[in-house]
Amino acid sequence: MTQLYTDLKALCGLRGISGQEGEVRAYLKEEIGKLSGVRMEETALGGLLVYKTGRARAKTRVLIDAHMDEVGFVVTHLSNEGLLAFSTVGGIDPRVVAGDSVWVGSDGRKVPGAVILPPVHLTDRADRQKTIPYEKLWIDIGAENKEEAQKAVRPGDMVTFATTLTENSESLFGRALDDRAGCALLLNLLRDEDWAFDTVFSFSTQEETGGAGAKTNGFAADPQAAIVVESTTAGDMAGVDEDRLVCRQGKGPVLSFMDHGMIYDRTYCRWAFEEAERLGVPCQWKEAVAGGNNAGSLHVTRAGVRSVAVSLPCRYIHAPMGLLRKADFEAALPLLKALCARIAQAAPDET
Amino acid sequence: METAQLLCALCAAKGGSGAESTAAQTALSLTGLPGGQVDALGNAWVTFGAENGPHLLLEAHIDQIGMIVTHIDKDGFVRFAPCGGLDVRTLPGSPVEIYAQGASEPLPGVVSSVPPHLNQNGTKELPDMADLAVDAGLSKEEAEKRIHPGDRMFLRYTPKTLLGTRVVSGALDDRAGGASLILCAQMLKDVPLSCRVTLLFATREEVGGQGAKTAAFGLSPDAAICVDVGFADQPGAKPAATKPLGSGAMIGTAPILNRAMVGRLASLAEREGIPYTWDVMGGSTGTDCDEVAVTKSGVPTALLSIPQRSMHTAAEIVDTKDVEAVARLMAAYAKEVHNA
Repeated sequence: MTQLYTDLKALCGLRGISGQEGEVRAYLKEEIGKLSGVRMEETALGGLLVYKTGRARAKTRVLIDAHMDEVGFVVTHLSNEGLLAFSTVGGIDPRVVAGDSVWVGSDGRKVPGAVILPPVHLTDRADRQKTIPYEKLWIDIGAENKEEAQKAVRPGDMVTFATTLTENSESLFGRALDDRAGCALLLNLLRDEDWAFDTVFSFSTQEETGGAGAKTNGFAADPQAAIVVESTTAGDMAGVDEDRLVCRQGKGPVLSFMDHGMIYDRTYCRWAFEEAERLGVPCQWKEAVAGGNNAGSLHVTRAGVRSVAVSLPCRYIHAPMGLLRKADFEAALPLLKALCARIAQAAPDET
Repeated sequence: METAQLLCALCAAKGGSGAESTAAQTALSLTGLPGGQVDALGNAWVTFGAENGPHLLLEAHIDQIGMIVTHIDKDGFVRFAPCGGLDVRTLPGSPVEIYAQGASEPLPGVVSSVPPHLNQNGTKELPDMADLAVDAGLSKEEAEKRIHPGDRMFLRYTPKTLLGTRVVSGALDDRAGGASLILCAQMLKDVPLSCRVTLLFATREEVGGQGAKTAAFGLSPDAAICVDVGFADQPGAKPAATKPLGSGAMIGTAPILNRAMVGRLASLAEREGIPYTWDVMGGSTGTDCDEVAVTKSGVPTALLSIPQRSMHTAAEIVDTKDVEAVARLMAAYAKEVHNA
């Protein structure tokens, strides 16, 4: 497990909003380049496809996917006062943004900044309990005017939350756990030297803006089955009714029957639960029809791909700092390995 | 030490109201002066200059906005009350550091935030502060073992220098003031003074100014200059209520402040070429001046402020030029006014 955490820490320290995943891709390419028994290719939209050779040929061609991009912002405009206007990249709740520390910059350049807000003392009483909408938020990088700001930043530059991975005995706290946790799991499956069947690993781009990377990676790899490794909302907290909390931390990886993107393959879900039981790791249903992930793009690739998502129950995703239980993260590794093998050794149409 | 580094060092040392010792000790040691003292309410001060001369008090508060743990709830979430004027608009989803008593390192946490699609009230209204909790990512048993009522928590921040001469950090209210005191003392280091100068790092300003009240009583100054932060220009803040970042020292004028001192500070600023603006208040100042000025039979008191953006958040921003302007102005005052 040490290597898994080393990779997660490194991956969560890298910056990469949708369409600007270069830092993450470079890390993965370097690490995967050190492995034997794999062949790697880069696709047109910046994704990676890694073909891993197993002990035997698969009866069903399995693709396992995690996305490299994270939610963040993009600089849209530099004001005369040297402040930056910005737009969201991916869905970010405006309630979590005011006062945040950020990094601004792309292509190897970056400067620190902060999302400033008018002081509460000068805010009308009625507005003190209201979310500040995006159009009234600005990023301050310390520039005195537009000219100074232009030397450091240009429109289109990425903005990421300035948090890195921290932990305590039970939990991981970090930016971009969605989906660097998935990337770390895939990378550690690639490191596994006891691998049963040939499998395609997909590290995709642009998931948070609609799944363009998975759509095109899927076409290129032409799989018969897909496993998507994601983070999903754990709403097990105060103020959320029992019947709406989606999934719980500490109850293991999460299987979806349906979300806003698709209806999942029921047989593969059943197999996942069976494998979890056999391994003695916990596993739970996502008790809501909510959200969506790359499986939505992958299952309609070419003539159709049977698909399943194995998600990590993560609190506060799409925010400065997500929270994931170590036990849930660790349980996913053996489950994913077993599920890859279970699907690969079955006939493509087995139910 | 450069001003920006000084600010970062002061802000990195945490000090919630009523629990300022780490920040106060850091400030004392950064003065480089011997003989620092701490009183019953945690106020820290150090004195230099002419022992029997008139006594000039230079004051900044050392406490910062934070949270205080009230209890661990049935699900293991850490419930809290604000300690100072915490801004709820900055809380949901924010990273937190939990300073548990006796622990060597802060514990990580995050202010809970119900996901938008599960939130009954949508995303336009914010939850009441009383309904928020800090998620320490621990089981209830473990949370109860490690975190206790009265422990302090802060929104997580790392002090950073921005472009040019600006700095961002939590706690710049009022470590920026503390930095100006330290810079002033450095400017006076080799100057023969006819007055006695005390640098006071006062506690509990954010919860009522009890530190300044009792320290001023104990020190009995003949005159006092308090330094705090003021409102800087930024989108959404009325221009009439703010001063531009980088425009120098804000010289306060208010009924409670001594008009002769205020006038003297302005003419010194003119003479020395120190940039300044006027900060006019109709009633009380909302700073430690209000306590210091009414100490014993009254203390002539002035207020200098450092323009700041996003006050009471982890995204407070000041310009080091303004911190330096305040320091220079206090040094000029100590040299001139109290020179026999």
